[in-house]
Amino acid sequence: MEGIADFLDSLVGGVDLVCYAMAIGGLFWVMVIVRPWNADHQRINEPLIQSTIRIIYIGGFSLAAIQLFKIILKIWLMAVILDKWPFPEFADTNQFIAGIIRSVLALFLALYCYRYLRTAAYSKYHWETVVFWAVPLVISGAWLVHGASRFENTALLMALTVLHQVAAAAWIGSVFQLVNLWRLRKQNKIEETLWPDLLKQFSPYGIYSVGVIILTGVILGFNYIDTWNGFIGTGYGNLLMVKIILLAIALSFAWLNRKATIEYFQNGNSFHINNRAPYYVEAETFVLITLLFTAASLASQPPAIDIPNLTASWQEVLNTFTPRIPRTTSPTLEALIAGEAGRVAIVGQVPSEAATAWSDYNHNIAGIFLTIMSLFAMLSYRKGFEWARYWPVGFIGLGIFLFFRSDAETWPLGPIGFWESTFNNGEVLQHRIATTLVLVLGYYELKARLTKDPDSKLPYFFPILAAFGGLMLLTHSHVGFQAKTAFLIQVGHTLMGIFALILAIGRWLELTLDGKAKQISGFISVFALFQIGLILMFYQEPLY
Amino acid sequence: MYKTNLLSLIFICVIALSHIEQSSAHAVVTKHSLEIAPVRSGKPTSVTLDFNSKIEVGLSKIFLVKTGDIHESVRFSNGRKPGQVVVELPALDPGEYALRFKIFAADGHLTEDIIRFIVKP
Repeated sequence: MEGIADFLDSLVGGVDLVCYAMAIGGLFWVMVIVRPWNADHQRINEPLIQSTIRIIYIGGFSLAAIQLFKIILKIWLMAVILDKWPFPEFADTNQFIAGIIRSVLALFLALYCYRYLRTAAYSKYHWETVVFWAVPLVISGAWLVHGASRFENTALLMALTVLHQVAAAAWIGSVFQLVNLWRLRKQNKIEETLWPDLLKQFSPYGIYSVGVIILTGVILGFNYIDTWNGFIGTGYGNLLMVKIILLAIALSFAWLNRKATIEYFQNGNSFHINNRAPYYVEAETFVLITLLFTAASLASQPPAIDIPNLTASWQEVLNTFTPRIPRTTSPTLEALIAGEAGRVAIVGQVPSEAATAWSDYNHNIAGIFLTIMSLFAMLSYRKGFEWARYWPVGFIGLGIFLFFRSDAETWPLGPIGFWESTFNNGEVLQHRIATTLVLVLGYYELKARLTKDPDSKLPYFFPILAAFGGLMLLTHSHVGFQAKTAFLIQVGHTLMGIFALILAIGRWLELTLDGKAKQISGFISVFALFQIGLILMFYQEPLY
Repeated sequence: MYKTNLLSLIFICVIALSHIEQSSAHAVVTKHSLEIAPVRSGKPTSVTLDFNSKIEVGLSKIFLVKTGDIHESVRFSNGRKPGQVVVELPALDPGEYALRFKIFAADGHLTEDIIRFIVKP
């Protein structure tokens, strides 16, 4: 069961941050923008204020539960890995104490919102009471971050990280509220002008939040990464780069929304604010959730400053992406199995060329699959090539290929049983999930393209599953490797994770927008698929 | 009412903060004594491992791994410096060995790593 615990451990950090953003960001949204105690009750009406509170207490309850689950997961992991019951020692650790305190505070906050705030939603006193509960909750998080571990500048790093988290929660939690606001607007439950008005108020508030995120992030970055090579050649630097890229994408959507808002207030043109901005906000939400999962993944990496001897050079990183002839012949299963004992040995380890070639073949063939699929997808936009729109059938073929090839030492090809391999190895578990995801993706997208129902929700499965695939690539762990080897494997996966996200949001916008914007989004989506294909086609694993 | 809230806030903060000591981040070995002082055969040796963060010794395990990947649990304790662990190795015959550790850093990350070394005659 170590595999499941290990995999869940890498995911719960992201879920934790999403819940935190819902609760704390929701509070910021109300205290800075909505301010219901000052507002006209016709305008900030019951449906709006009640759904706003609902998001906050759902975030609070979920945060309490996930924090508790994290502790249970640690106990589980320790019991399995250390082969002993971790108490009473674990009860004395900061993880346990700070985790329990955070969980209890989140529970109190959520309970207060649920029990009292719902019935006094326009009371300034009640909102301030929630803020009073939120302050220690935010502070308690300081003992659960990287900065708390450092031997130098500890207090400063803890404070900066908390500030970074709060600013991110303020921004992202408010974007969640914008999604809710548009949902109410579509259902005609709020005044028509409230959407542009609150979007306008959100604009400067969002800029300040991003300013704090960048300022604290830069200072933290310089404390954890001291060289350019550390930024380019370590897992920590790589994930930080992913965060910067995701931030840039999210800010591009924010800029488009700001432009739409300015246009509306300057010349009364409501086309962009009603037909573009809501969907850009949804796309921004995809990006920001991925950003939070990347941030959680970053926290599990050793800072670059601590591993100067395990840092890859920029030439080694570049070499990972250098175009080469894809490997189209696989070593035999016998050769692979023969090399496994030496490869996994601790004493007297012998790198296995067969294992590396096996992995290269898997990745390169998967790349050929995806590149061909993306070319068919591009073709499907041309007149006379409508038949090419069934290109997602390739995902089913790819899924079957991955099922047999991903982990050859396990069932069905290898000697290790299905359940034993799936639940005892986090990496095998992730491969199994990815294979299922690819099969499901192909099945639903094909079904979506075959349906005659114009109101079918089936097309939306594809971007959601693709975004989840991107998340998995960004949190994909390669355990048991030396840090540098793990990084050289990770760097290709994280880049594919970014393109998977672009694929997802491109497709989402293609489904929701109209006209030229729809076409551009569709092209960007297919282009991202093409890029993933190329990365995989030229993938080369380091010898280990 | 505001006073009550403020007092509650201060109380909660004090309770929250007074129970927490300084904790640690994801643990990696930044240096170890095997780099400068190779193990000699035939006599017990202390090996020092310097981590980048504080380690929960009671929740960690270190093994000596011999040829054939035979694992033998070894004793270890906190060293003089923060983040330092001293491992007690028994007298060893010449050959290839490894130290395999499963370390719990106070930030909650369980790290597994291996340091390979050779015992010279």
